[in-house]
Amino acid sequence: MIASIAFYVFAAILLVSAAMVVTARNPVHSVLFLILSFFNAAALFLLAGAEFLAMILVIVYVGAVAVLFLFVVMMLDVNFAELRGGFQRYLPVGATVGAVLFVELALVLGGWQIAPDAGQLRFAPQPPDVHNTAALGRLIYTDYVLLFQIAGLVLMVAMIGAIVLTLRERKTSRHQSIAAQVGRDVRDTLELVNMPLGVGVSEFYRPLVEQPPPLHSDQPVIAHAGGGHGDGGHHAAEKR
Amino acid sequence: MNWQLAWPEIALAVCGMAILIFGVLWKGRSNAFACSMLTAGAFLLAALLVLSQGGGLGYNGLFVVDPFSSYLKLLILAGAALSLILSVDWNEREGFQRFEFPVLMLFSVTGMMVMASASNLMTLYMGLELQSLALYVLAAFNRDDARSSEAGLKYFVLSALASGLLLYGISLCYGFSGTMNFADLAKAAANPAGVSPGLIVGIVFVLVGLAFKISAVPFHMWTPDVYEGAPTPVTLFFATSPKVAAMGLLLRVMVGPFGHLLPQLQSLIVLISIASMVLGALAAIGQTNIKRLMAYSSIGHMGYALIGLAAGTTEGIRGVLIYLVIYVFMTVATFAGIGAMRRNGRTIEKISDLAGLGRNDPMLALILVICMFSLAGIPLLSGFFAKLYIFLAAVQVGMWTLAVIGVLTSVIGAFYYIRVIKVMYFDQPEAPFDRRPASLSFVAVAAGLFTTFFFVFPAPIIGAAQVAAKALLG
Amino acid sequence: MMYAIAVFSPLVGCLIAGLLGRSIGGRAAQGVTIGFMILAAICGVTAFVENTWYDAEQETVPLLSWVVSSTLHADWALRHDTLSVTMVGMVTFIATLIHIYSVGYMAHDAYPVYRFFSYLSLFTFAMLMLVTADNLLQLFFGWEGVGLASYLLIGYWYDKPSACAAAIKAMIVNRIGDLAFVVGIALVFFTFGSIEFPAIFGAIEQHQNDLYGLFGTNFRAYEVIGVLLFIGAMGKSAQIGLHTWLPDAMEGPTPVSALIHAATMVTAGVFLMARMSPIMSYAPYALAFVAVIGGTTAFFAATIGCAQTDIKRVIAYSTCSQLGYMFVAAGVAAYQASIFHLFTHAFFKALLFLSAGSVIHAVSGEQDMRKMGGLWRHIPLTYTMFWVGSLALGGVFPFAGYYSKDAILEASYASGTLSGMYGFWCGLLGAFLTAFYSWRLIIMTFHGKPRADHHVMEHVHESPFVMTGPLILLAIGATVNGFVFRREFIGEGWPEFWRGAIVITANNHVLENMEHLPGWVGLAPTVAGLTGIALAYLAYMFVPSIPPAFARVFRPIYLLAYNKWYFDELYDFLFVRPTFWLARNLWQIGDATLIDGAPNGMAEIAAGSSRQVVKIQTGSIAVYAFVMLIGVVLLLGLYMLVR
Repeated sequence: MIASIAFYVFAAILLVSAAMVVTARNPVHSVLFLILSFFNAAALFLLAGAEFLAMILVIVYVGAVAVLFLFVVMMLDVNFAELRGGFQRYLPVGATVGAVLFVELALVLGGWQIAPDAGQLRFAPQPPDVHNTAALGRLIYTDYVLLFQIAGLVLMVAMIGAIVLTLRERKTSRHQSIAAQVGRDVRDTLELVNMPLGVGVSEFYRPLVEQPPPLHSDQPVIAHAGGGHGDGGHHAAEKR
Repeated sequence: MNWQLAWPEIALAVCGMAILIFGVLWKGRSNAFACSMLTAGAFLLAALLVLSQGGGLGYNGLFVVDPFSSYLKLLILAGAALSLILSVDWNEREGFQRFEFPVLMLFSVTGMMVMASASNLMTLYMGLELQSLALYVLAAFNRDDARSSEAGLKYFVLSALASGLLLYGISLCYGFSGTMNFADLAKAAANPAGVSPGLIVGIVFVLVGLAFKISAVPFHMWTPDVYEGAPTPVTLFFATSPKVAAMGLLLRVMVGPFGHLLPQLQSLIVLISIASMVLGALAAIGQTNIKRLMAYSSIGHMGYALIGLAAGTTEGIRGVLIYLVIYVFMTVATFAGIGAMRRNGRTIEKISDLAGLGRNDPMLALILVICMFSLAGIPLLSGFFAKLYIFLAAVQVGMWTLAVIGVLTSVIGAFYYIRVIKVMYFDQPEAPFDRRPASLSFVAVAAGLFTTFFFVFPAPIIGAAQVAAKALLG
Repeated sequence: MMYAIAVFSPLVGCLIAGLLGRSIGGRAAQGVTIGFMILAAICGVTAFVENTWYDAEQETVPLLSWVVSSTLHADWALRHDTLSVTMVGMVTFIATLIHIYSVGYMAHDAYPVYRFFSYLSLFTFAMLMLVTADNLLQLFFGWEGVGLASYLLIGYWYDKPSACAAAIKAMIVNRIGDLAFVVGIALVFFTFGSIEFPAIFGAIEQHQNDLYGLFGTNFRAYEVIGVLLFIGAMGKSAQIGLHTWLPDAMEGPTPVSALIHAATMVTAGVFLMARMSPIMSYAPYALAFVAVIGGTTAFFAATIGCAQTDIKRVIAYSTCSQLGYMFVAAGVAAYQASIFHLFTHAFFKALLFLSAGSVIHAVSGEQDMRKMGGLWRHIPLTYTMFWVGSLALGGVFPFAGYYSKDAILEASYASGTLSGMYGFWCGLLGAFLTAFYSWRLIIMTFHGKPRADHHVMEHVHESPFVMTGPLILLAIGATVNGFVFRREFIGEGWPEFWRGAIVITANNHVLENMEHLPGWVGLAPTVAGLTGIALAYLAYMFVPSIPPAFARVFRPIYLLAYNKWYFDELYDFLFVRPTFWLARNLWQIGDATLIDGAPNGMAEIAAGSSRQVVKIQTGSIAVYAFVMLIGVVLLLGLYMLVR
């Protein structure tokens, strides 16, 4: 009884928030509605007895994917009004195609025959003696290990792709080398000088810090957003 | 478990990872070249492993090795190897040579080989995704060129849509039949009358997803833009191996698990085939960029190949397989010729830039002439035989309309191929192209020789195709 | 052997002059061709003489096997019977004289002269092949060969459009006759199973009553064959209906007119009738048709000749008319008379033409008689030649024409048939008109006040000996041929002379009946001729106002005669214009629009569709995705429908 109410509540919220994702005017609102629909989907999974999937859904989708969406939406200055301007124009055709597709699918799926004992199965899904997670593990690492490995390869290719497409080695940006920092020797930083009387500092002036190498002209120079810190470093050295 | 059946794929994946590490660690100047050579070696190793395998079902029914899959794998490896050879010099000249290129190609090939050996809908999907993901990156590889990025992006977005449709279809199939294994699906669909329409709708969605990959109309819209924008060796790779893999997969899926339902699906395949042939022929007439022309040409060729599938007999499957071999080599030779189109260090891609090639570089012009004639289907070049076997299969089952439309579109299509030849020989010559690298000449000549002299000794390929087709239809 | 030399020498001369003429030069070409022609003439005349008075062997000379195809056999061979030998002798002799004459006539011609002589020899060879043929195929080869040579020679001055048009006209009109001729040959083969003369003539009795179905009725095969062969002869010999080419053929040089269109080629039709006499003799209706056509032509051409002003045209129509006479004789199965008149006519007509050429040469190329006159004192030799030729033509005793022409008229009267009588009366009237226009020509050309201008009259001179020599020889022939050869051709000695070359049926007694005619029949032609001469003198010499008055009073008749009975205009309206209309329409509409339009239209469709299709690729991802979705919906919808 409670289970069926819960099912309908979660399903309804899921559908409504999914619709809101597409129709919300503010993009940040869209993402938030998306997160809401993810949560409700996780709840439905729970109701179906797949607790591992529900938790993974929340962690991966909400924790990683939706956050990524949020970052992108907030970082990029996308003019959503312009993007959605064509909505009115294409609405008739799009609605027609969508409606036709919906009718076709409904005709087909209307022939779905429900097994007689599916009603009970819905509400008692858990196999009695083994955890969900263990059951999944048993299958993935034995029967479906090939697919698992290929999935791994897919992820690796994605990583290679991301690096290939975006990583640029800029000689202008300075990395921190922790090892070098930690391995700094006192002899490199401090020098005791015996000053004779009546003589100014300038005769003994020796720069302590190495001048950075000059800019290479063949590297593409991208203007940094905070363009000052390279120069600031120089000033600091000279002032001393 | 029979995991030894996947030796070629395992070997390739391991080699891929090793070459990746090697490329990262050895920061020498020519690490791209070294990695390319190592990848070529890996391809060779994989080919040897494929040849030395027996048949059978592995990984609990997920993976199958039979003459059909071996045939496809060898063809995929050949296409990839030739594209790789072309890419070595091309990437260097364009200034984006990186060692990740051959590695990505290698992984893509691994995905394709998994596709060829798929005997489960999930394996199908995973192989497809592995192949596609590597291809997305390869398409956008020239990251300083806006067109390359555009190509990669378009391919990615549309491919994601297609994968979504494919997955929806797989879920419908699973839902209405209870299994994803091809053998079990065949049993479930054995009685066409008792099959619920939901299963067929699922098959239609699977067909849509696969049709996208072979750029059949109306799922071909990505092809011209992506072919034009991607770097030429990548375009060549696009035009050869993924098409082979996807076509083979389509054959296996349509004929294997859903073989009994083929008569119901035949009209759909016929429709797609006719649309592809017609569009490929008509739209190419108005093109000025040669890579776009080749894109439409490949759409048309896939239309012809689908005729063999529509026929549904052993001869039809054999025709498709022969078509794929001949098509791969024709395309390799043509793109090798296109790869030579550089002037003053800049790549040029217009058909009108080929003007006067007959006088400036007779050898290259000759190879291009052979390719163009072969693509048009002129006897005695190999392209003619490809079409011959396909039309033969169609006529044998009485699909006269399809064969006639095929012939008519061939005639229309011949126009733009011969126009290229006309531009090469009869237009005012422009400045000659830059010196072409030896690797390009080698690839062009080798593929051109195959195209020309196929008719002398076709028996091995036809025999192998026959064996593969028989293995598929059983 | 001698016979073969006679036939082939002209060929050798033609080849040498034609192929090497440019390198050996005009003089050498002339010398070579004339040399070979003289050789041929010697051999030809000797063969004729031997056959006429010395009982020569009549052996067919086999040459080469030609067609061996199932039952169709045809070999190259030279038939050696009287008919052939007579023709060979006559042709070689006259052709040689004309070759020699041409040296003088073409001396100032603009074109290199080797071409002319090569063509003349080619013609001679073809004519000889025609007359010595032992089968219909070789005869047809010669037939076409003379047609070709005629075309080449009429259009010799090829930069004159009128000459080219005349050559084409000759070729085309002959072609119409040739069509019937070929069908006739086919019918001969169909009836007899062979086209070789020995086989045909041997089987004449057997196939007498064969029937042939045509247009629903059954005719006797011989009749059909006869009519078809005669229609071919009509084309070649310019009988009424297919005569329109002959006057126009005067565009060629005068020696050509003399040789081809007077003496030899046009007589090929008559020769054909005589050669096929075995078949013709058994086809009385065909013979009647021949006689009627011949008679009509004789009369009709003579009327036209009376009104022409070009000197060569008058003689051309005269030829046409005389050929009509020959066909009248053939039509009453008096083939001997027909060939006799052919023989004599060759001499005097060639004489007339060459004399006309001499006149034209004298008046610096003028051919219109209205611009001549008063020449007889200046060119007396030519004048004399004209008299000799005209007397022979008019049939005045004792010149050659008297014997042959009278023989024809007597034979036609003696035949007793309706067509024969028609031929007789036409011939008689024609004789009157012939004499009239011949003397009209002489008077207008040579007598009266000179109507040419001062310069021309100053240049009037007699032709050189190379031109007048042949004239004299021809004049001798025109004078004596009649009474020398009368006995052999048509007189008592005719069976021994002809020796079966000409076949007449047993109940054909025309030649005997000729001896027993009423007296007035024999005198009538002479009376008619003298009357014509007198009238000509009256009208042109003494009372010059008569012709214009006649033309005014009987204007329609005058116009009819002057405009050649409007045949050319009729043919133009009936045939030429519709043909051009059809050709133009087939070209512009049929070919250019319809047949060319189909592939052009399809190419346009393909290009047009391409332009539309290319627009689908907009470059927008959203559109691409949308198209994919539409594709999915379509496929699903299609499946729903097909299910």
